[in-house]
Amino acid sequence: MSTGERRTMVQARDVVKFYGQFKALDRVSLTVYEGEKVVIIGPSGSGKSTLLRSINRLENIDGGSMVVNGMDLYDPKTDLTKVREEVGMVFQSFNLFPHRTVLENLTMAQTVVRRRPKKEATEKARYLLEKVGLSEKADAYPGKLSGGQQQRVAIARSLAMDPKLMLFDEPTSALDPEMIGEVLDVMKDLAHEGMTMVVVTHEMGFAREVADKVIFMDHGAVVEDGTPEHFFTNPTHERAKLFLSQIL
Amino acid sequence: MTQKPHTIEVGDGAAIPLKSDKGLFTAWRLAFVGALATLTWLAFTRPDPYMKIITFVPDGILVTFKVTVGAILLALIIGLITGLGRISSNRFINGLASLYVEVIRGIPLLVQIFYIYYALGRIIKVPDILSAIIAMAVCYGAYMGEVFRAGIQSIPKGQAEAALSLGMTRSQTMWHVILPQAFRVVLPPVGNEFIALLKDSSLVSILAVADLLRRGREFASESFTYFETYTVIALIYLILTLFFSKIIGIMEERINVDR
Repeated sequence: MSTGERRTMVQARDVVKFYGQFKALDRVSLTVYEGEKVVIIGPSGSGKSTLLRSINRLENIDGGSMVVNGMDLYDPKTDLTKVREEVGMVFQSFNLFPHRTVLENLTMAQTVVRRRPKKEATEKARYLLEKVGLSEKADAYPGKLSGGQQQRVAIARSLAMDPKLMLFDEPTSALDPEMIGEVLDVMKDLAHEGMTMVVVTHEMGFAREVADKVIFMDHGAVVEDGTPEHFFTNPTHERAKLFLSQIL
Repeated sequence: MTQKPHTIEVGDGAAIPLKSDKGLFTAWRLAFVGALATLTWLAFTRPDPYMKIITFVPDGILVTFKVTVGAILLALIIGLITGLGRISSNRFINGLASLYVEVIRGIPLLVQIFYIYYALGRIIKVPDILSAIIAMAVCYGAYMGEVFRAGIQSIPKGQAEAALSLGMTRSQTMWHVILPQAFRVVLPPVGNEFIALLKDSSLVSILAVADLLRRGREFASESFTYFETYTVIALIYLILTLFFSKIIGIMEERINVDR
């Protein structure tokens, strides 16, 4: 596949991140092109989530550079909110706003950030709720929803901003097993529509089916970087082989 | 996933009765009905002096009420600003808010009331009741600031992260996501502060403010019925605080039912 003419959505170069003395990211580089689906896997504590969270600067990095959607996150002239408007994020713990109804969760940022009229925001919200199969929950409070439903609402909430890039931080890790499928289905639909996605997950089936590129991280560094076929059938590094043998 | 409501314990007002707390509920009922019955019984069995006292003090109750409500509203505003200042990453603002809290907490309320009353008197001429309200609010604002700080910090970090990642600014995040949730959390301690303030408002009787206690003192010093007067005053304060505890308890239940 030729990537020469595709837009670069994420350009991370030699990213270094410390938590005190602990080196969470060790010169990590990552390029994500428009429309690409990148899945990051690796053992816990390997720095996957830290890398993902540094893409919309929920984590500050201590070295290297991060350019997202053409904007340098560490250029003082960059308005971070402008970057984040275009980058959706889905969290392990959903983080829906519990004091607002499902519908209001979807309209809040549209009206506050995008300054859309209420009617337009509501229409958009209802359309997206239907898309994730939760139209009937529009007026419910998030606390009344199951985990799988909450996560689907969280995805819809991000999509309401019309993001150019979606980040998923272990979106199914907090879910009961029977709810994982419904969330992955929504994510797969999104992938088929051409959304640019970076996904941290332990769902190997999803990685195999959806990913254009699989990145394996260990001890804060990228160890493998290739197609799912390459990674799942013929990993080069011992650590990756070991990880796969444990997880598959 | 159902999130448990966050609760924090601050303040030393009368305990707020919740339906779930059976023991306290009956204690509340006993005290409230008992106080009312005692007051009624005294008024009818010994109208002189009790009925006289009871008819003499109501305008004092009104003043006590004005001071309490005025001070709590002002304290809420001061408290919100202080609480936001205390979590600010701006060193100057943070330092200023912390200094205010430290200074106020280190000075007895009665001394503050005297001080602010006379300090204000030197600068501007304001009605006595207004300077009493300001004095109470400045003091309670510091406590309220700590309540708000705790309330804001009790909201999980993920809430702010979700709002920020949707492109909201810090102040939009605070206003639309954090504060509405924090208000729920701070309601019980604010209720406690309200009741504590209602009681402490009796301190303003030392100024030329004719609150409930001061009206009582006026009556007692003319009629020399000190014991009888202060019995009535104590019972009225008790009835008031118990009444408002109940109201706050009901408000709290309403808010929890929503969820």
